[in-house]
Amino acid sequence: MYRYDEFDAQIVAERVAQFRRQVERRLDGRLSEAEFRPLRLMNGLYLQLHAYMMRVAIPYGTLSSRQLRQLAMIADKYDKGYGHITTRQNIQYNWPELIDVPDLLNDLAEVEMHGFQTSGNCIRNVTSDPYAGATADEIEDPRPTAELLRQWSTLHPEFAFLPRKFKIAVTASPNDRAVIKAHDIGIEIVKNDDGDVGYHIIVGGGLGRTPIIGQTVRAFLPREELLPYLEAILRVYNRFGRRDNKYKARIKILVTETGIEEFTRMVDEEYAQLKPLDIAVSPEEVARITAYFADPDYETLDNEPKAYLSEIASNRDFALWVDSNIAAHKQAGYAIVNISLKPLDRAPGDITSAQMRKVADLADEYSFGEIRTTHQQNMILPHVKQSDLPVLFKELQKAGLAEDNIGMITDIICCPGMDFCALATARSIPVSQAIAERFSDPERERAIGEMQIKISGCINACGHHHVGHIGILGLEKAGVEFYQVKLGGDASENAAVGKVTGPGFSQEELVDGIERMVDFYLDQRGEGERFIDTYNRLGMEPFKEVLYVD
Amino acid sequence: MSTLKHKGKGPQSLTANELREGLNVWMTEDLTWSRDFKDAMTTEDPDVMERMKHRGDTDEADNLVVGVYFIDIEPETGLPARYREKFRAKGPSIDTADLVEGS
Ligand code: SF4
Repeated sequence: MYRYDEFDAQIVAERVAQFRRQVERRLDGRLSEAEFRPLRLMNGLYLQLHAYMMRVAIPYGTLSSRQLRQLAMIADKYDKGYGHITTRQNIQYNWPELIDVPDLLNDLAEVEMHGFQTSGNCIRNVTSDPYAGATADEIEDPRPTAELLRQWSTLHPEFAFLPRKFKIAVTASPNDRAVIKAHDIGIEIVKNDDGDVGYHIIVGGGLGRTPIIGQTVRAFLPREELLPYLEAILRVYNRFGRRDNKYKARIKILVTETGIEEFTRMVDEEYAQLKPLDIAVSPEEVARITAYFADPDYETLDNEPKAYLSEIASNRDFALWVDSNIAAHKQAGYAIVNISLKPLDRAPGDITSAQMRKVADLADEYSFGEIRTTHQQNMILPHVKQSDLPVLFKELQKAGLAEDNIGMITDIICCPGMDFCALATARSIPVSQAIAERFSDPERERAIGEMQIKISGCINACGHHHVGHIGILGLEKAGVEFYQVKLGGDASENAAVGKVTGPGFSQEELVDGIERMVDFYLDQRGEGERFIDTYNRLGMEPFKEVLYVD
Repeated sequence: MSTLKHKGKGPQSLTANELREGLNVWMTEDLTWSRDFKDAMTTEDPDVMERMKHRGDTDEADNLVVGVYFIDIEPETGLPARYREKFRAKGPSIDTADLVEGS
């Protein structure tokens, strides 16, 4: 795993000291709220619906056990004993007090963490494939590239006040687990016909009030050109992005209004003017960063050892958990373990401090001390021996972390909504719980198979509802919540924005309507079809008919 | 913290956030702040509102609270009229804190 060098450590330490002084000046009135607000936001501190909220960056969703233990300690010391994993792989605390935040940041800095670039119109914390470095289906580990981008974008002076926030995601797998086409820039690490590794650069994707799927601006960018080329894109955006209108200020609007051909031409023109070698990173530096992400010391093992297979054969609960929560590892005899943070009684993505400590201990014991957070608001132990899975499963059961629903109908992405968020128009957490409750029969859930329901509490779409197989948007009219439904969204490599079905529903009507659509799908599906496949085959009309039957 | 959608007519209460702790507060009859909406003073009297506003502005200038604004109150229920304000008064309908041992 990457460890901060002395520059990172110094930057973070200086920032903590600076923020401590800023808080002091705010408390004694030398700074007004208007002056202080952007300063606290630059450190990830928001003022939400009920209290301050602290968002901590987890670069590309990779955490060490030491960091997770510290996050648990912080949850206990400064908050209410839990944290919330966001759809950008970060963690949020819902109840910190301003007077504590300098100490909180200091404790974060001890484990090389902070809240930079989790707010504001800058390049935000870079996200990536949570299976990075562990999955067989990737060309290479995408995290060295993500780390390079982190170093480049951290406090980048030219891009600290962009027209709007800017999100970058990186993957190296054809199976997109990072929703790269819904980012301002999506980067896919690819190989060209000559076998060279480079970058497929996608630009202008985004969700929010105007969902747009990103388009290719460069099909193959040689590796060493990455930073200069991104610099060129950012410069074009910085110059031509719509600063006059907040709702049109994202790069997706610029790309759409300009057209991808013209936008590409503008980027190429800018690029030609840059001296690429100025900020191009040398192969030696790339190698230095990459070395931090070297494989852990795997043992040489056989795949699927007997004890593991016999546990599957004899323990049904274990077998079901393996079926849904375990993904194939590149190393024989190892597995990627998904830990669901979607039990019925919990807001999606929430994890208590005790559970964080447990996951950290389990990571030390079974996964080389490494943990991942996912944009699906779950966690991952990336490198677990298959032979350890039975005992790991028991440990997770004891900690209430063995929910076996990854990728299924109750594994719902859900933003905090009106329960916590100052921008919300409706609640989202109770809706997700009502849906999860309705489909809580495990047999039925398995029969339904892969299904992605995503819920946002307002048009900002943090809950990714545009790309849910079923997407739900919470709205309010005259003091009454109602929920709009979208169908046919897709967050995978086949990214698609769902279509609105029509008028919205109350929460109860909504859950009934979803159930009818699911039953219809079960009735109509062809061999091996998921909900989204059946939907794509039949189109919206028949689903709409059952949704609006009453 | 927009006041835009409040009509500013009928019964009003004054709300803000504590600067130091961040929690929601409402102005009480003795012109102090309470974290409990039940303690909130509600009035239609312009003179009282003027005093509340003055006190709110003073407390904001003294760095005790931030984002002071009036909210509409439903005469029938005594609750905030706007949906969002109802939630600010009620607190989250679900909070994992309630599941944390010892909380
Ligand atoms: S989608 Fe809206 S309600 Fe949900 S977290 Fe984002 S801004 Fe808040």
